[in-house]
Amino acid sequence: MPDKSSIWDKPLWTVLTKDLTCEFRSRQALGSLGMFALITLACVSMSLGGAVLEPQLAAALLWVVLFFAAMAGLARSFVQEQETGTLFTLRLYASAPAVFFGKLMFNLVLLMGLTAMILPLFVILLNVDVLLPEVLLLTVLLGNLGIGTVSTLTAAMLTRAQGKGALFTVLTFPVLLPQFLSAVSVTTQALNGAFTGYRELLFMAGYDGLMLAAAMLLFDILWQD
Amino acid sequence: MTSVYVDIENISRNFSGRTVLHNINGQASPGECLVLTGRNGAGKSTLLKIVAGLLRPDAGMIRFRRGERELDVEERRRCIGMVSPEVVWYKNLSGRENLRFVARLRGRKDAARELNTYLSRVGLGTDSDRRVGEYSTGMVQRLRFAALLLLQAPVWLLDEPSANLDLVGKAMVEGLVDGSPAGPHHFNGDQ
Amino acid sequence: MKVVLALWMAAVAYGVFFLVPPAEGLGYLVRIAFFHIPVAWVSVLAFFQSALEAFRYLRTREPRHDWRSSAAAALGLGFCLLATGSGAVFAKLTWGAYWNWDPRQTTIFVLLLIYGAYLALRASLEEAELRARISAVYALLSFLTVPFLVFVLPRFYYSLHPEPLLNSTGRLQMEPGMLVVLLAAVGGVTAIYWQLWRWQVGRQERQYEMPLREGVNR
Repeated sequence: MPDKSSIWDKPLWTVLTKDLTCEFRSRQALGSLGMFALITLACVSMSLGGAVLEPQLAAALLWVVLFFAAMAGLARSFVQEQETGTLFTLRLYASAPAVFFGKLMFNLVLLMGLTAMILPLFVILLNVDVLLPEVLLLTVLLGNLGIGTVSTLTAAMLTRAQGKGALFTVLTFPVLLPQFLSAVSVTTQALNGAFTGYRELLFMAGYDGLMLAAAMLLFDILWQD
Repeated sequence: MTSVYVDIENISRNFSGRTVLHNINGQASPGECLVLTGRNGAGKSTLLKIVAGLLRPDAGMIRFRRGERELDVEERRRCIGMVSPEVVWYKNLSGRENLRFVARLRGRKDAARELNTYLSRVGLGTDSDRRVGEYSTGMVQRLRFAALLLLQAPVWLLDEPSANLDLVGKAMVEGLVDGSPAGPHHFNGDQ
Repeated sequence: MKVVLALWMAAVAYGVFFLVPPAEGLGYLVRIAFFHIPVAWVSVLAFFQSALEAFRYLRTREPRHDWRSSAAAALGLGFCLLATGSGAVFAKLTWGAYWNWDPRQTTIFVLLLIYGAYLALRASLEEAELRARISAVYALLSFLTVPFLVFVLPRFYYSLHPEPLLNSTGRLQMEPGMLVVLLAAVGGVTAIYWQLWRWQVGRQERQYEMPLREGVNR
């Protein structure tokens, strides 16, 4: 007879629920991250002063805001374990896949929350018409998966490094670049309605898949001794 | 979970050019208690971390055996229970939640009654639902022992086991170590 | 070996300045290409070598593979800067702008970013074993993005670069004399890179072995 709570006892969910509980009680990441995203958007919107944006420019701005908001917040999950000293406990008790997927999912939750805030504000503040919302949504989902995967791995690399904040962005950006460029291109198409087919979305999904597999293997190397 | 042997073979470790451990050998059989002594900085904690698999030695090997069969990385991890000043708990979780967390990471059933048993055995029965951030250092140390008991690991690695404990606590630790069903202990003097 | 290399490069320089005819539409500026192409080639080569050695490090965990990987990356950064600089000058003189995000300019720029990130990561890690392991992981991770970049970049930007040497029709679009000089230049610069790399790796090996010998004497 299957235990009703058995799925939630799996170590990766344990790591996720632990992170969510801690975050819910301290609200350290969410508050500052939300404000960071709001300020970046406001910054862009105010300085444009209501000018109408070309779809390509709007798409580029959206991804710049999303990327930097992500960079401001995603390293936290690991860096905080290091700073408070709990990383040792985690390494003692948790296996590599449990930590990787737990942290990845926590980062994805953060990213989705961030996107859920940025996307509507972006449409409202910048006066953007979205002609193909479903394509935009799909792009954002795939893009977030890529950002989350790569930054979970780079954040893990940084736990022992000095000068973490700046280095995190420096390490993550070149690896994310192919994803970033295709995300901007598909988003442009979603905004102006000239959708050229699913090839580019497929490309993004392929990138996500490969990065996920690679990050899983490489994280194992980082986590052992 | 019986009869785990630990072999320590020719372990050496340097830290940025300084040799801390040089050709350490040893063996621990079930029920045996090894005591590591040495002055501060002699490498006692380093050796324990290497045995726990948290630090890679520059040379040598640690082997965990069950009879003649050598254990892989994941099985090794499950064999180890550790008390160390470096085992830090999550401050935003209560003592009970921290215990439940490590129990689930190890894939153990976390029956509430079992948690309660171990919490009261280390004298944290009444404080188990307070956040660890409010604990004293001695209570944090007691929580480390509760985790050790809960996991029922065959190998205990105790780094400064009676640090920060009062007399009652020290007596409790001695009782636990003497009466433990566990296999080999690696023990680190805290004087 | 060094003498041979110096003579070789002198011969290449002679070839570039006296034998190569001014190219149509480019004039004598074409000479920059004899510097630019080999240097750009080496910066890509160094990147692959760095990733390969990173992979071998993770397989064997022998420190020498880490030195090889980091030496390749450090030299790669140098050659990459030279390639970017010479490319920008060439672009200004022929296309009228230093920079215009041509696919190959973008590729070399991404390489520059990766090299920079890799070396910054190394600088921030103090313990040798940890530094070797983590930077090897990063070298491999960044290597994985290359196929995606190759696919995605040409779709984004128009290329101003001349057709590749071997274009789709399989015909060589270069005078034989020029081609010989170019290949000689590529060979020469690659050999220079190889020498520098060996020297760098050797220096690290000596540095590593010194304290060990002292330890034995004690």
